[in-house]
Amino acid sequence: MTTHLTQDDLVLHFYGEMDAATESQAVAHLGACEDCRRSFTRLQQVLAAVDAMPVPALPESFERVVWARLEPALPARGGWLTRWMFGPANLVWAAAVLLLVAGAFFAGRLTNPPAATAPTAVASAADIRERILLSDLGEHLDRSQAMLIELVSADQPGERDALDISLERERAEELVAANRLYRQTVSATGNGAVTGLLDELERLLVELAASPDQLPAEAVDRMQQRVAAKDLLFKVRVVSTALRARQQQTRGVHGA
Amino acid sequence: MPQTDAAAVALARDGNSDAFRALVERHSRAVYRLAYRMTGSPSDAEDVVQETFLRAYRQLARFESRANFGTWVHRIAVNCSIDLIRARPHRESAHDGPDLEQFGAAMESTDATGTSPERLMLSTEVQERISDAMSGLSRMERAAFMLRHLEGRSIEEISQSLGLKTNATKHSIFRAVRKMRAALEPFVADA
Repeated sequence: MTTHLTQDDLVLHFYGEMDAATESQAVAHLGACEDCRRSFTRLQQVLAAVDAMPVPALPESFERVVWARLEPALPARGGWLTRWMFGPANLVWAAAVLLLVAGAFFAGRLTNPPAATAPTAVASAADIRERILLSDLGEHLDRSQAMLIELVSADQPGERDALDISLERERAEELVAANRLYRQTVSATGNGAVTGLLDELERLLVELAASPDQLPAEAVDRMQQRVAAKDLLFKVRVVSTALRARQQQTRGVHGA
Repeated sequence: MPQTDAAAVALARDGNSDAFRALVERHSRAVYRLAYRMTGSPSDAEDVVQETFLRAYRQLARFESRANFGTWVHRIAVNCSIDLIRARPHRESAHDGPDLEQFGAAMESTDATGTSPERLMLSTEVQERISDAMSGLSRMERAAFMLRHLEGRSIEEISQSLGLKTNATKHSIFRAVRKMRAALEPFVADA
């Protein structure tokens, strides 16, 4: 190989992706050509630097949060959380919410057929608003769910110790205002189940936002029990799933 | 908590969820790191972690006890990352970075200070540059490059995994390396 190696040739050589004949020519050329050798050294330096690619720092609770999200999704032989999630009372509640959300969707489709009763532009604006609401509310519930998971899966501090909930508290502060807005919007649509859920969520968020950064063991226990007693995590998960399904339906209807 | 992965796998196969939890706790950070490098998105990486352990749980019966659980889960995580990247091709354009000249110029303009081996070791600055450079890669460029560079997969294997033609895979890797060079070379060359 008498001509200089291209940058791409050097990449193939670096990764050992050249065929045998081309590889031996490249090696011979690198042995003889200082320019290409220098270029190859720089490539090696750049690619060595890539090995130091950073990964975001993970919180100490990372493993606990992964497990709290994972366990409910594992097949039925899982532990207490799985059994609790799929308990009869929760399944009845879930079915009711799914029916309400689906019912509201289909009622909307029947009472407001887009093409027959409304000008296209108005229908489109309403559709866009609905899609934005579905998407935003879904995201809000996902964020709330992540915060609840961290809260319920936090290790109980010792009797005289306190749990640092500064991150959860900050997040709750951010979520309160948004939650209030969504509750008012959803309330106007007459969806009682989702309004009720946002109501419950708001009370917890307000309490959490007003808590000290270091929460005493007793208060942690009370808050965890409150989430469990109201099945709040489960309800948030169900509504979030139902919203996502409805969002897909909306996309499907308007995409068709 | 079982002492070894092999013991935990044996218990988890019998439905012991605490044993599986131990495996998740031991390996989830490594899976996240890999998934983040592959996808470039913290939320996608979290999805990959979830999906990886879900698949691992379902496939526990197929896991050979002589094998290394970490290696096995790592392989599942790579496949989950690839599946996620392939399932979201529409986001490709959103991740396309600026063209190479703009990219290199932007990087040079931020290189106001002199460089030296000591500075290279100041990993925060290097890592910021790598992060910037990586965020300039499209999803496919990033996936192809990471599979070649970190995972040591051949271009042929990467083509099959990502559903690309061999030439397209090569060019994804070439473009990725060019972007990395444009971003990092002024920094590492003088070091």
